[in-house]
This record gives sequence, structure tokens and C-alpha cells, in this order.
Amino acid sequence: MQFDLLINAIIAGLMLGAFYAAVTSGISISFGMLDIVNIAHPGFIILGSYIAYIVNVQLGADPIVIAIVALPAFYALGSIIYEIYYRSFEKHGQDSLRGLAFFFGLLFVTEVVLNMVFGVDYRSVNVPYIGGSLTIGWMEFPIRMLVPAVVSILMFGGLQIYLSRTFIGRAVMAVSQDPQALQLMAVDPIRIKRIAFSISLATASMAGAFLIIIQPVIPSSGREYIGRVFAICVLGGLGSLPGTLIAALLIGVIESITSTFYGPSWAPAVSFGLLLLTLAVRPSGLLGR
Amino acid sequence: MAANTNSISIEGVDAGYGLVRVLDNVSLRVNSGETVALLGTNGNGKSTLMKCIMGWARPSKGRIVAEIDGEKHDLAGLSTEQIVDLGIALVPEGRRLFPRQTVEENLLLGASRPKARAHIKTNLDFCFEIFPRLAERKSQLAGSMSGGEQQMLALARALMLNPRILLVDEPSVGLAPLLVSRTIDAIKQLKDHFNLTVLMAEQNFTQALRIADRGYVIVHGKIEFEGNSADELNNNDLIRQFYLGM
Repeated sequence: MQFDLLINAIIAGLMLGAFYAAVTSGISISFGMLDIVNIAHPGFIILGSYIAYIVNVQLGADPIVIAIVALPAFYALGSIIYEIYYRSFEKHGQDSLRGLAFFFGLLFVTEVVLNMVFGVDYRSVNVPYIGGSLTIGWMEFPIRMLVPAVVSILMFGGLQIYLSRTFIGRAVMAVSQDPQALQLMAVDPIRIKRIAFSISLATASMAGAFLIIIQPVIPSSGREYIGRVFAICVLGGLGSLPGTLIAALLIGVIESITSTFYGPSWAPAVSFGLLLLTLAVRPSGLLGR
Repeated sequence: MAANTNSISIEGVDAGYGLVRVLDNVSLRVNSGETVALLGTNGNGKSTLMKCIMGWARPSKGRIVAEIDGEKHDLAGLSTEQIVDLGIALVPEGRRLFPRQTVEENLLLGASRPKARAHIKTNLDFCFEIFPRLAERKSQLAGSMSGGEQQMLALARALMLNPRILLVDEPSVGLAPLLVSRTIDAIKQLKDHFNLTVLMAEQNFTQALRIADRGYVIVHGKIEFEGNSADELNNNDLIRQFYLGM
């Protein structure tokens, strides 16, 4: 094992992990904090990728800037989806299995619509920094990985500050523990869940832009991430954003080292093996509730 | 009517769950600045009455009217959040803290409503002053504290709402006798400091009457006796029969 190869694998892994963190943040909020099994989340990430793609092709704008501009639209979409989910399922206490079917359906609908509009060809964005690399000594940072990683960490920091320092954020953390007790604090738990779910969906806009900067995208790209995001979310511990970040970085580094030294096909096996091992020792995940 | 009167009046309320009627024509009044005890053993409807006031259970008959700062509000049709936002805080049975959040986060959650946010600093200081234990443990998870500490936190959290009327449901449940008496003392302290109107449901009759101005005895969903002073309640036959077995 050469030392410089290892260090570069770790660097690449950290950047990959930071991207995974962005992809998982939405699930970490909806599944981890609100008990909503939003299996369609990766589908909305791909929707974010295509929005970044179409605006980038038309106007040449940076995908991340496009994603930020699209945040309110994703937030609004999240509010609508939560309202439908709440009225049709959650309100009647039928959220677990039927809710899962609902989100599974949403995933397919999103994918089919993207297929019909854009076709099944790979799409990618045009950004000047995509081919570039930042080199420090023998350490190499591909810019197309570095930019999403840095923005992702910033987004995570922002979310964590929002959740731990604001009244609404604290209520989001409280809502799955005891929604009725939240009413006694003059807070409407349904409103809190709607806000939190909308935020979780808005993260898909950012993650989508990151994804299409890192690699070309097809409508079904989201599927590869379903298993991984839930694995990271559970590994980090339900309801903990810092846990999600640590787990995402860990999985990123392990996948990167494994694919550097043993080949990419081993990567998922090793990371899921780690998940099972961790859960055997710590059933609530790294920082879980 | 003075602008700072806060009272609650329950007029002929019937309530129940499905076909089971739990409250039968219950009328009760808590005047401004009073501490009123609602006495009764388990299963007589004390908690259901509290739930009716908070909008968690809907009366099938009767009215519940709260007067807050001299203004009357019919509570029928209001959501629990709206009722709390009027200035009515409930310390629920079983405390209902947020166990996975810290003491401080629990307290700040109490101050979520805009009218309470303005008083966060002074209310927090006061809570820490009368419950020094909470100040020592403010970064500890609420779920990891002892029952007595949790009851203090539940009281303090209700105060952070900056309420006018305080409802306390069974504060003594699950506490050792010494802690029960401390909790009752704390309710009295808070009441005096914030000039609250207090309705307390309790089965520990002796402890409740230490701080109550008046009291009602509820038996099988009916108010069976109304005592206009602690003495009257102490010497009542019904209470002797139900509580003291004489």
C-alpha cells in the first residue's frame, strides 16, 4: 500500500462522503426526525439534477447557483407533498405501509416523467471547473468533487445551526418525541412537520446539482442511492444530522479506499458490512436517539 | 372588570370517549388569583376535565370560558395551540417532557410562542433561581433526570410560556412523599411570583389542600362536593369516606 495513494484515496473519500452527506440530509430529516419514509427522495434529487441541467444548457449558469434559486420551488413542492401525505395517510394513522407505497409511487412517477421529457440518455452540465484539479504537493483535489463537498458541508452547518438554535428547529427535533406535548407549547405539530419536510425536500435541489457536477445523470440514477442513503442515515443514527455527516464521511472514505486498492465492485459490500457491524454493536447508530 | 383578571369557568360540561360518559354535568369555577384543587381518586374524570379545557377532548354539552386579562374566550372550537396561546398552560400528567433534548432546550421550547419570547431572559433566570437543580443540569438530556427533577422541569417549562392560568394535572404521581411536598411548594411559589390563577387536579388530598384556597371533589364524573375553604374540605364526610376510610 503506497502512502500517497492511500492519502489521495482518503481525500477523495472525504469529498465523496461530503456529497453523500448532502444526498442523505433530506432523508435524515424526513425519515430520521419526522418518521416519514420518503423513499422518493433520490427521485427528487434527480429532478434537481435535471433542473440544473436544463437551465445550465439554456443560460450557462452554474448548477449550484441554479439549485439555490430553485430552493423555494422545492420547498413549495415539499409542502404540497406533505399536505397530501398528511391528509391521506398520517392523519388516519396509516402512515407506515401505505405511506411507503405512496412515496414508492412518487419515485416512479418522477422517474417516468423525467424519462418522457429528457429520454434515457446521459446528461451532464457544462462548468469551467469540471476538468480542473487543485494540487498541493502530491495531494490532488478534483474541483468537480471539491466544490460540491465544500458547499455540502456549508449546507450541513447551516441546517444544524437552524435545527439547534431556532424555535422552529427545536420544535422539529421535538415533534417525533411527543407531538401532543408540542401542542402544549402552543406549537402546531403538523405545521412543524410540514416545514421540516419542505426543508428536507429543498435539500434535494442542492444534492441534485452536486450530483450532476460530479457525474452524468439519467432518470433512473436515483435508484443507486436509495440503499446507500438509508444505510448512511441509520449508521449515523436516526434524528442526528452530525451523526449523518460522520457516517457519510466514513462510508465515503471506506468506499474510496476499497475501490482504490481492491476494485470498485467491493465498495458496496464493505460499506454495508460496516453498517451491519456497527448496528450489531450500537443498534441506535453512531449518534442515534 | 379589571384588565388583569384571569379566570376559568366550566358550565355544565358532559364529556366522554365513544359511548362511555366520563363527565356528567360538571360545573366549576376558578376565580382570578385563586388556587383551586380538583380532588378525586383515579378514574373519576380529573384528567378528562383537563383535556376538555385544553381542547384535547371535546365536551358534548356545556361551555368552557376562560377570561384572560379581562377578556372572555369561549374555548369551544379552538385548537390546543390556540388555547395555550391565550395564556393557559398545562403541566400534564406524566410530565410529557422531550426526553431526547436537553433541559435548556425543553425550557426554550416552552417559550416558543411570540408572546413568551419577549420574556425569555427573565423567566429563565427565575426558573433557574427557584429550581437551581435545573441550572446545574441545563445541558443534560431531560430523559436522564430523576422523577423529581423532571417534575420541576415540567413546571418550569410551563412557566416559560408566560401563562396567566396554570393547570396542573396530578403533580404528585410517581414521586416520593418529600418530593411531592416540594413540588406543591414550588407551585405555590410560582403562583405567587407570576400572580397566576391555578387549577390543580390531585389525588393527594392533604398535600393539595396545603396550598388550595378552595376545592371540588369529583366522584364518577360528578362534582359531589364544593368546599369554599380548606377547612370545609378537611371536615367533609365524603372526603373522610373516600380518602380516609372513616
